[in-house]
Parts: sequence; C-alpha cells; structure tokens
Amino acid sequence: MLDLGSAASALLRDHPDLADAVIPAWPAIGRRFPPDARDQWLRACAAMADAALGQTCVLAYLRGGLACAEIIGPDPVIDLGDTAIALGRTAGVRAAQALLAAAPKAARRLGTPSRFREWLAAVERLAPMAPESMAPMLDRTEGLLAELDPAAFEAWALAGVRAAADDPGRRLAFFLLSTRESLRALHREADDLAFSAVERRLKAYLAALWRLRAPVRHAKADAAGGVPRRASFSDGLVWMPETFRGVAGQRAEDLFRASLVHIGAHLRHSGPRFPVGSLKPLQLALVSLIEDARVEHLAMRGYPGLRRLWLPFHVAEAGGAGTAPVLMARLARALIDPHYQDDNAWVAKGRTLFFEREDSWADPAISRTIGGLLGNDLGQMRVQFNAKTYVVEPAYRDDNLGLWDFGDAAAANRAEAETVYEAYRVEHAEQDGDPSGVPPEPREADPAERPDRSAPAPDDPEIAAPPVRYPEWDYLIGRERPDWARVVERFAYEGSARSIDRIIDQHKAVVDRLTALVRSAKVSRPAWLRRQPEGDRLDLDACIEAALSRRRGETPDTRVYATLARRHRDLSVLLLLDISASTNDLVRGTDKSILTLERHATALFANTLAELGDPFAIHAFCSNGREEVRYYRIKDFRRPYDAVAKARLAGLAAELSTRLGTALKHAGRILARQSTHRRLLLVITDGEPSDIDIADRRYLLEDARKAVLALSHLGIDVFGIGLDPNGKEYLSRMFGQRNFLVMDRVERLPEKLPALYLRLSH
Amino acid sequence: MVLDEFRINEEPYYRPVSDEVGLFEAAYAARMPMMLKGPTGCGKTRFIEHMAWRLGRPLITVACHEDMTASDLVGRYLLDAEGTRWHDGPLTLAVRHGAICYLDEIVEARQDTTVVIHPLTDARRVLPLEKRNELITAHPDFQLVISYNPGYQSVLKDLKESTKQRFAAIEFDFPAPSVEAEIVAHEAEVPADVAHLLVRIAGSSRNLKGQGLQEGVSTRMLIHAGRLIARGIPLAKACEITLVLPITDDADVRDAFSAAIAASVA
Repeated sequence: MLDLGSAASALLRDHPDLADAVIPAWPAIGRRFPPDARDQWLRACAAMADAALGQTCVLAYLRGGLACAEIIGPDPVIDLGDTAIALGRTAGVRAAQALLAAAPKAARRLGTPSRFREWLAAVERLAPMAPESMAPMLDRTEGLLAELDPAAFEAWALAGVRAAADDPGRRLAFFLLSTRESLRALHREADDLAFSAVERRLKAYLAALWRLRAPVRHAKADAAGGVPRRASFSDGLVWMPETFRGVAGQRAEDLFRASLVHIGAHLRHSGPRFPVGSLKPLQLALVSLIEDARVEHLAMRGYPGLRRLWLPFHVAEAGGAGTAPVLMARLARALIDPHYQDDNAWVAKGRTLFFEREDSWADPAISRTIGGLLGNDLGQMRVQFNAKTYVVEPAYRDDNLGLWDFGDAAAANRAEAETVYEAYRVEHAEQDGDPSGVPPEPREADPAERPDRSAPAPDDPEIAAPPVRYPEWDYLIGRERPDWARVVERFAYEGSARSIDRIIDQHKAVVDRLTALVRSAKVSRPAWLRRQPEGDRLDLDACIEAALSRRRGETPDTRVYATLARRHRDLSVLLLLDISASTNDLVRGTDKSILTLERHATALFANTLAELGDPFAIHAFCSNGREEVRYYRIKDFRRPYDAVAKARLAGLAAELSTRLGTALKHAGRILARQSTHRRLLLVITDGEPSDIDIADRRYLLEDARKAVLALSHLGIDVFGIGLDPNGKEYLSRMFGQRNFLVMDRVERLPEKLPALYLRLSH
Repeated sequence: MVLDEFRINEEPYYRPVSDEVGLFEAAYAARMPMMLKGPTGCGKTRFIEHMAWRLGRPLITVACHEDMTASDLVGRYLLDAEGTRWHDGPLTLAVRHGAICYLDEIVEARQDTTVVIHPLTDARRVLPLEKRNELITAHPDFQLVISYNPGYQSVLKDLKESTKQRFAAIEFDFPAPSVEAEIVAHEAEVPADVAHLLVRIAGSSRNLKGQGLQEGVSTRMLIHAGRLIARGIPLAKACEITLVLPITDDADVRDAFSAAIAASVA
C-alpha cells in the first residue's frame, strides 16, 4: 500500500475520481516536491477541485504543476493554483484551462520563480479588465513571453485594454495580435528599455557616489499627452522619463545613468534656486547651461571617470547653422571636452570665461555671471531662440526647472509636486530618517456597503460571514456571561498600496538588515545532537566519559555518537492591531501618530514574513460597545501579501474603543485552524482595554486575561506589545509576566517588531 | 618556556588611529578584561598582536565558533594507554602561564560556553576546572581580550548582559582616509596615489551600506587589492576580484559599485 500522507489521502477521499491521475504520478510528485510543499500543493489541488472548474482543470493543474515544479521549483506552483481559480471566477473555465496549459511554457520562458509570479500576478490583474480575451491571449503565451518580460507583458496588455475603450470585439482583436496597433505596441514594449528595469542599480550607483538617496518618480505625460523628453528635478525629487524615445538597449541604460548622475551632481553641488527675476528665457537657458557644466566639473574632481559617462552624448560639431540651440550645444561640448575644437568666437569666449574662473567653481554665482554675459552677447548677435521649442541638449541633461525659483504661482502649477517630506536625504548609513507617515486616503461613507472584489469566497473557512458571539468573563460574579459580545467582520477600507511600498523604501536600511536576518533564520541551521545512541560521528566527550566509567567499574553509557539534525520552521503568526481612537494620538517628540507607526511596523513585519515564508495574517480591531466589536482582515493566512493587502493596510483608520478580550478570542479562533506546530498571536495595543459601555477598569482587563489563558490551553502563544510606557502593570496582568514587552520608545516600533518576531520564533 | 611558540618576536605593523595604544597599555597594567569592537577587517586582530608584542607577552588566540564547547576552551581528559590524561585548553594555558588570551568573534560561541570566563573577569581572577577539581589562580601576566563585531547578527546572537558588563571596550572603525591610505600603502607596498584611490573606492562601497550591502569594503580587502596591483594586475581587474566579487551577489549592487570604481579612475 502506498503511503500517501494526509493531504493526498484527504484529496482522494473527497475526489476519488482523481486516483487514476494521482497514484501513477506519485513517485514523480515525491521527486519534485519536498514533503511540506507537496502537502500544500495537494491542498491547492483539492481547492481547485472544490472550485467547480471541472475535472479537466484539476487534471491540467496536476500535470502542469508537476512540469512547472520541475523548472522553477514547487512554491510558485501553489500560486498558479490560486491564480487559476481566480481566473476561473473572473474570466471563465476556458481561461483557467488556458492558463494551466500555458504555465509550463511560461515557466520555461521566464526561468525564475519571481518572474513567474510576476507573470501570474499580471494575468490575475488583467482578467477582470478583459475577461473575453484571456483564453486566446494565454494560448499565445509562448510567443508573447519570447518578446516581453512580465512587466512589459502587462504594459502591452494594458495598452490593449486602453486602446479598445471598452469594446470587447476590438480588445479581442488586439489580443489575437491581429491588429497593427497591437503588434506595434508589442515591439515598442520589447524594444525601449524602461527606466524601471535599471532603476535599482542606478539608484545604488548614486548612493555609492555621494550617499544620495533621491526618490525617483516616473515623469508623467503632460495634459496634452506629450511624453517628457528630459529628466527633471525639483525639491529633491527626481522625475525620470519611463523611456527615452528611440533609444534602446545598452545606450538607453547609459543615458539613464548619465542623466541620473547629472542630477546627482546638481543635488550635490547646486545651491539654492536662482531667482528668475527679470531674466529672459535665453538667459535662463544659458545660466542653466553654465551651471550644468559647473556641477559636472565639480563632480569630476572627485570622480574623474564620470567624463567617460557624459562625453559620448556630446555630439555637437563645429560649423553648421549658427542658431542658438546649435551654438549652445557646441558650447556645452566645449566646456566638457578638452579635445573639442571650435573657432566660433562666442563659443571660445564662453570657454575662456568658464575656465578662467576655475578657482571659484565652487560658487554657484559664477553661473549667473557667465550665463548673463553670454546671453547678452547672443542677444546682440540676433540669433534665433524659441523658448517654446527649446530642448536641452545633450539628452542626458535635465530640463533645469529645479534650478530656478519662479515664485509661488509657478510652483503651485507643478501638478505633480509632492510634499517636501519625501525630499532627498544625504543618508547616514544606519539612521534611516523616517519622515512623516502616509497622508490619509479618502474614505467612503460606509464601506460595508461596498462589496470587496478580492474578498474570499463565502465558502472560505476563514470568513465568519455572520456576526459571531463570544462569552465574556465577569470577574465580579466569577463566571462567563454567555454570548455577550458580538464580533462584526467588516471589509477593510482600501488606501493606496504604493504608500506601503514607499514605507518600505523609507526603511531601506532596516529592510536590508532584516533580509540578512531572515536569510539566517530561514536556512534551517544544522545542530549537533550529542550523546545519541547512533549517529554519524563519535562524540568525543561521551566516549571519554564512557571510558572513565568503565575504568571506575560502572556500566558505561553507550550513547557515544553525535548526529547532525536540521530544525525546521513550523510556525504561523497572527498580528492583531489595536486601531482604537487613541491610536490617533501623536507620539511624543515626533509628528507621527501611533497608528502611523503601527502601519510602518506592520509593513516591515509583513515584508519580512513574506520573505521568510512563515504563514501569517494581519488583523485589526476596535469596538463600539459589546454589540459591535469591529474586526478587519488586512491579510488572511491563505491570501498572498499583495497589493490588496497593502491597500487595506494603508487604509486603516483609527476609531472607537478597545475591547481586547473579544478580539483575542476571535483572532484565536482563526489562528487555531492553522495546523503548524507553533501558533503565535502578536498583539499591539496602546493602552488598557476600555469600551463605552464599561466603567469598571478591571472588567475588560480580566476578560482579556481569561482569553489569553484560554488560548494558551489551545497551544496558542499570545504575546503583547504595549505602546504605553506606563502599561507594565496591566500588560503583565493580561499577558503574564514574560509574555509582553513595553516599547518605551514607540518611534522605534517599526524596526523592533520584525526583529522581535524573529527572536520569538527562533 | 611553555608558551614560547605563542610569543611574537617581530613587530607587527600597526598604525595607531588615536590613543588606543596608550589606553590598552593602561588597561593591561590594571589587568582589565578588554573588548575590541568594530567591523570586520578594520584591524582588531592586528592591534592585539601588536600590543602583545609591545607588552612582551605571549598571545593565545581562539577563533570562536558556534559548535565550541566549554571543554574546547578549558581543556578535557584524553585517553592514552596509561589511562586518562588531562589536556589544558587554550584558555587554561593562558591562565596558568600568563598570556594574553584573545577570543576572536566571541558572539559566535554559544552563550553557555562563554560563561566560563566569568570568574576570570572579576576580582577573583580564578578559573575553576570542575572536572579536575582544581581552582587555578590566574598568573599575574594573564589578561583576557575579546573581539566583538556589533553587526547585523546582534539580534539573534548577542553577548549576555552579564558577560558584556565585565569588559572595558575600545571601539575600532575604518581609519580616516589619509590614515587608511597610509596603511594600505605600507601593507600592500603600493604608491601613495594608488592607496588613496583605493580608499576613495572603499568610501563609495561604504556609502552603499544599507542599500544592499551589509558592510562596506574593509581595510583588509583594500590591502588585498593593493597587493595584486603591486604584482602588476591592472587596478580595475584587481578591484573586481578583491572588492566587487567577494562583497555581494546582488547584480544591481555589483553593477553600481563597479560603475563607481570606474568613475573614480581618470
């Protein structure tokens, strides 16, 4: 009899018709999936079978999953199942089948688990937008992915959705690759190098040169749909075009690099903005040009090799038309290229003026002086200059808007101007400056009326759809009041998922440190077990003891071996956040509220956990009397930590009171369904439990204590993190002497929380 | 003498950065247990070698590791034809005969192992050997020194409070650029301008700390690079194989660091 393990047995018990497929494949399954992943996968198969997509899908998942696991490892295969089910729901069974059939080809093309996941996520996002086109598009997966990486694939598909303007017929034609438009979009995506593809390395480059951490934003199209042709910077933010038109491959990367470093030189060496005053456009352009050369020369004093980076873009040649843009491009070249010859008197004069003042290059005022002089000369030469069509040359230079102070009116005009809090910072390695939190997102009046697209299906065992009642412990009468408090699960408000990504960016240094910790925690480190009855080497100490005993005439201990064992992580954790109204209070000495810090901490926590691979959930609660303990699920155990979870985290808002005990019971009930060896419930709270209908301070405290005790009987460890520096007494009453921690410096919560988790789980 | 092989006869090169030599001499005069803190490759081990030479004391170094037991430090019974024979461990050797015992990277050892040093590091200055039923009073010349890299591992691995508080600490960091260049020039036998360039390159890697690098390039790595340059390897290649490739596997960070090196070279 084949030993199938519990997951497989359960699958075959519920779906006996799959035996013909599973049993013959069993040896292959064992080869491709390590036991943990295998059970997870088989559960995913069961979920697929339950999702009523038909047996074809389940069989395709079994076959396709095996093939994928061979190429990219077992984990992404689980995600494949989730995506297929989601796709079946949004785009129909045929699309799900197409996905499963396409998956092994995609895996071969994409090669790595992360790229494969990106592709899955892109498909899942597209499905609701173009349900009718999913199946035909997925049938063409191989050809598409031969041209496009997952990001470009999504960009191409989105272009199709947009171009079709809600006309399913046109959309289908686009995805069948039967329109010229579609092919052109395909080639554009495949050709032009997008800044995001090289963003990380270029930002690191800037940090390496000057410790500059400039937030880079993608320059948006203007109101007329015109794509920006030059990079730009203002108030410490850098705006980079997503692509430089017509520049591809290595040259595009060089251009992005040259451009970003040029802006870095500005950030490093340009002073405060020049007042525009009465300067004419031509003078503005010339002062900017001299300023460009000045900061580049200062940068090259430290890094002479930068000349090699910028020089190839200076292609202006002596001679030719004497229009202003041409002369200016020639002057720009004359100022950086010592071998460039130009006999034009104006260019020569500019060169002399500039190099005569080499000793005072450190002073931005010289740009103003030289630029002014050259502007006058050019004005007298009556050359043409059209400020409307003028574009800075060479292409790597920015539009220089960041150099000028146009007064208040113009600054307000810059629609995309972001608040100053994101201004660049000169980093001091460890102290990761932590500017104010995310601005609150607009909220809707009653979110409960708003159906949540991504909510789990009602048959999801984690959803407690009808309100649940819990007893409450009354210490005065010494017994429980049955069915006393009611938990109402509500859909979480959604904020902007990107704001959470930005939090991660802000805490880059902490994240890096945590990644290293995760790595060391994840690799289950081998440990020597000594004094074993058998093992792969002698335990010297035990041998000597045994010899000694023998000489003393005692019976020696025969356990003289040592063996190497690996410990596995088997742990799930639920993070429960207190979002009562008091979390709106600002933390002393900072401009952030407690909730903001909770959000930062949770973002880092979730980021760490997602990397670590421990199953985790994030829930939040507040209460409005015993009839309404509101409970929000930011992220459930079974859902990935994705944009939806991030959006919900961003959307958390502080309100109402803290009926902790009931929330603990509800969280414990969800956590109890996890089948891991250890189950940990981490609670972050900022004060003692309270609610509007309770006057006796001790009542809710005792109920919470009772709840913690009951959970520990179920084998769930509850650990409390208190943000109230005076909370020692009641926290130890609720959580027990050793199972709580008081954060005396609340502003350090974000970095402490993930580290604390790693220590608790170690 | 028992410890002759542990004596240091030639002066190990050490370039003082501030007053650490004087501080250590005073601490030794008081036989105070010392902790040397600082990132890897900044000269802690070289410093202790230099001080042992300067003070004319033998130096016994133990590289600590996770699997180390207390027996590995204090000693154990071994078997021979006659019966059992006690064999002093490195710590016992130093305590008995008067050496400086240097426990390198002490956090790597398990916390229960490190408690054996407690009786040595307070007023008692004794080492009890339970298995032999012996109590050794430390030789007057004995001093205990540990090194400790307060890097990223400090969350999972840290010294016990009760251990930490027994030591006085000297903090080391990478020296100021001019001093570091002097050290690189001396150790790698390269001209001063090459050494300065290498130190500038190290600076850009240290800027990347927290941006994908755990630690920046250490002085030790620079000396490696310098040694290859002194043997005729071109600078770019030498930096690639001694600095860029060892320090990270992250392609983007590697690219950024290589590009910064290229930018530093005229």
